[in-house]
Amino acid sequence: MTRAPEIDTPRTGTDVGGTLHPRTAEARIDEIFSFRELARLDEALTMSSRETGLRFTLYVGELATPTRATAEQLHARSGEHPTDAVLIAVSPGQRVVEVVTGAGAARRLPDRACALAVLSMTSAFANGDLIGGIVNGLRQLSDQAGHPAGLRTH
Amino acid sequence: MTVAETLLVYAAIPLAIVLVLALLTLKPGAGRRPRYKPGQPWDHAPVWYEPHPAHVGGHGPAPSHGPAAVQGSDTAALGSSVYPEQQGERALESEGGVGPALGSGGSHTGGSHTGGATAARLPQAAGPLGGARGTW
Repeated sequence: MTRAPEIDTPRTGTDVGGTLHPRTAEARIDEIFSFRELARLDEALTMSSRETGLRFTLYVGELATPTRATAEQLHARSGEHPTDAVLIAVSPGQRVVEVVTGAGAARRLPDRACALAVLSMTSAFANGDLIGGIVNGLRQLSDQAGHPAGLRTH
Repeated sequence: MTVAETLLVYAAIPLAIVLVLALLTLKPGAGRRPRYKPGQPWDHAPVWYEPHPAHVGGHGPAPSHGPAAVQGSDTAALGSSVYPEQQGERALESEGGVGPALGSGGSHTGGSHTGGATAARLPQAAGPLGGARGTW
């Protein structure tokens, strides 16, 4: 199912991770995105999760078809409390982006807001700007979700 | 003006200017990675990024720092936000003998079948899921 297409992929990360020298393993981190882009991603994910109290995670890679079902299965594994989790699954090879919200997160992030964020993401992706699209989508989602009632941000 | 002077002024100097400009144009982009363009195949390993766990109301795993942020994985992580796949899950899925679900309809039905079994052993259901989907 979800991991199935990745098992036979020759370039999967953890298959060779055990035999890699730490330096080589570290060099693989910026294989997809540069460190500057990773820092932007990291900040966007962390700050949007911290502001909203929801847990935003981002998956970048192939999604088995049907991509929606795959993304929902990934979402169920995205943390200890999947009800409050929001998964953004981007598959650049298939040109698909899926946003999955748990039941608790969906109360604050209605599907219409997710669709709007997805729209802004896809327009950036169509220009080849993966990181910019993801960061802007995260910003839009966290703006829509707002602060939780009991959370003090500072 | 001798022949040598003519050549120097009308050939060597323009050539030098062109070379300098070409060098200034091509040099800064030489070390940069090629940008991903839509439509290119994506042959990178899947990767899962997650937020840093501090101050998120006790959700998620305990705060951990350094390369050993992901349990069960030897891959060094940048902080704790780079989240490679877990070895255990990978072994679990390979037991099922599900082939690559991409591209072939037969293995695709097998993949969705085992998906139900995996959903059954999940710790808790997330309730009715929402979200959106987009293509580009």
